[in-house]
Amino acid sequence: MTEALVEVSHLSKRYPVLANSSDRFSALCDMLRGRAPTRHTTVLSDISFKVMPGCSIGIIGENGAGKSTLLKLITGVLTPSEGQVKTRGAIGALLELGAGFHPEYSGRENIRLSAALYGITDTELKTKMAEIEEFADIGHYIDEPTKHYSSGMVVRLGFAIIAAVRPPLLITDEVLGVGDESFQKKCSRWIDDYVNSGGTLLLVSHSTYHVQKLCREAIWLHEGKVEMQGDVFTVTQHYLAWHEAKQSKQEKIAPVIHAEYEYGIESVVSNGSDSRDELTCQFGEDFRIEVCLTSRDDSPPVLLCGWARGDETPVYGVSSEMDRVPPEKLGPCRYRYTLVFPKLGLLPGKYFMKVHSLDSTGLRLYETRQRTIVVAGESRAYGLVLMPHHWE
Amino acid sequence: MKPAYRSVFRELLRRELGERYRGSFLGVLWHLLLPLSQLLVMSWVFSHLLQARTQYQDLSYAAFLAMGLWPWNLFANSVANSVVALTGNSALIGKIALPHHLLVDAKVSASILLDLAGFVVVLIALMVFGTVLELSGLPVVFLCLLIFAIFAIGFAYIVAVLNVFLRDVGAAISQILSLLFFLSPIMYDLAQLPPRLQKLLLLNPLVSPIVNIRHALLGLPIDWPNLMISAAAAILVAIMGYALLRRARPHLEDYL
Repeated sequence: MTEALVEVSHLSKRYPVLANSSDRFSALCDMLRGRAPTRHTTVLSDISFKVMPGCSIGIIGENGAGKSTLLKLITGVLTPSEGQVKTRGAIGALLELGAGFHPEYSGRENIRLSAALYGITDTELKTKMAEIEEFADIGHYIDEPTKHYSSGMVVRLGFAIIAAVRPPLLITDEVLGVGDESFQKKCSRWIDDYVNSGGTLLLVSHSTYHVQKLCREAIWLHEGKVEMQGDVFTVTQHYLAWHEAKQSKQEKIAPVIHAEYEYGIESVVSNGSDSRDELTCQFGEDFRIEVCLTSRDDSPPVLLCGWARGDETPVYGVSSEMDRVPPEKLGPCRYRYTLVFPKLGLLPGKYFMKVHSLDSTGLRLYETRQRTIVVAGESRAYGLVLMPHHWE
Repeated sequence: MKPAYRSVFRELLRRELGERYRGSFLGVLWHLLLPLSQLLVMSWVFSHLLQARTQYQDLSYAAFLAMGLWPWNLFANSVANSVVALTGNSALIGKIALPHHLLVDAKVSASILLDLAGFVVVLIALMVFGTVLELSGLPVVFLCLLIFAIFAIGFAYIVAVLNVFLRDVGAAISQILSLLFFLSPIMYDLAQLPPRLQKLLLLNPLVSPIVNIRHALLGLPIDWPNLMISAAAAILVAIMGYALLRRARPHLEDYL
């Protein structure tokens, strides 16, 4: 079983340009003469990679980077303009929202059609039909045409079929983002289980969180080319860093009004380190942060300090004003706050420590600094924080 | 055909057949009622209202017309239906990899099966109401219908593919088919025309099967040379249609 399930070599895809009706006509003539369309845009160029059995690969990239096109080429829905895709075995694919359903067919008819495509016999289908209905959990809608479905229901049904078929390779495209919370969990759990029991997964998602959770490797597509490929954490971190860089570049265009802040942050020292690089601290140990603030009119500023998870979900935030704590005056216009989180209760993972300077009333926010904190350590608990508890 | 494709084809066909009278009260009965009522209307309009006659003794005009009309419908309906075989299934083509010709095959097969059933119903009805039909001609009738079916699948591939690139095809094809209808000896007999025009009309390979179905059912001599030319033309069209579909296959998804 060392043969690759999917082997993509020097793959390129060009779409014809169909801006006006004469383009369609000339495209038809080109096709009849066996030539490539004269006007086209390149979506993917020279992509090569292999998917080995048991791999789980996430594909990330901006909108329009060619992720969906790549998946369509692998499933065989699209034909490559150059290069080739070799696949072995059945592929279960959930592409975009349609999941390969005919809008006029009822849910049940679509199940039959999909089953036929996956090579499931009638007798097998009889037992699987109940399983699919139960997993999809869409009630009487199963006999309605799928055009009456909500997008969530379509995904539910599509996923239920995949779950029943359990193909050796599963390809999904932004599917997890559609279902509701409970169904997302059900799917995530199923995929987790599928990957752990030797299934192979190709996943496209904008949520780097999902990709990190479900995949071990990642491919970053950028403008139709592979920008980076490898371990999921390395690739997603570079991808996020690139996004941040892009965003800050855009922000620079706006005139900088607060060249010098009314209430500025002079320095932030976390656990004795004042650099802005990623900082690793230990789960369950004290976390100490010292912030020096400046105030132009010498009125004492307020400090707001907060934790956010790697995907920007706020975890906890507190300000000196809430706790009615005055700063320590260091000299004219300079103040210092020292904040300690004893026995840091954040579970191991990646977080952001955000520090904001506010005016003396605590209403207006001036400068913000952010630092990545990696909480190291071991904990088998779920979630974000350790909650004080005891058993009786 | 791979086994999986066979069951996919079966599912597609099942749906094509099932959707015709979905939501209707009489359902499948329509397959029986529709040809009968059409025949009834035809015989009332042509035999009683217009007093139309044929040059064959004892043959009502309605019976004459029916023998040409159903075989023609078998061809024309399947071509007309399959215009949207690919464009109407874009939701499937864009999302799952299935051989595109199956979609056209299913459309054409469903259409042919329905019209074939209609033709059988009509022939039985004609015999019940006293039209004398030569049953020994049935193998020739079957051969002619087969030629129509081969034509139908060939043209179906062509129009279905062209319609993906240019949606004008859908509108044009119904006009072309109705022109062909009047250029074929369905409402009239070929023998009624001047000899020069007869020769000209026979250049159309769709004409000979119609003429020969009638001849076979009435026990008249069969025009084998022209029928064989039609058969050859049908196979040629089918091969061309399939070649076109194969050539267009990599591009279809881009234009849907």
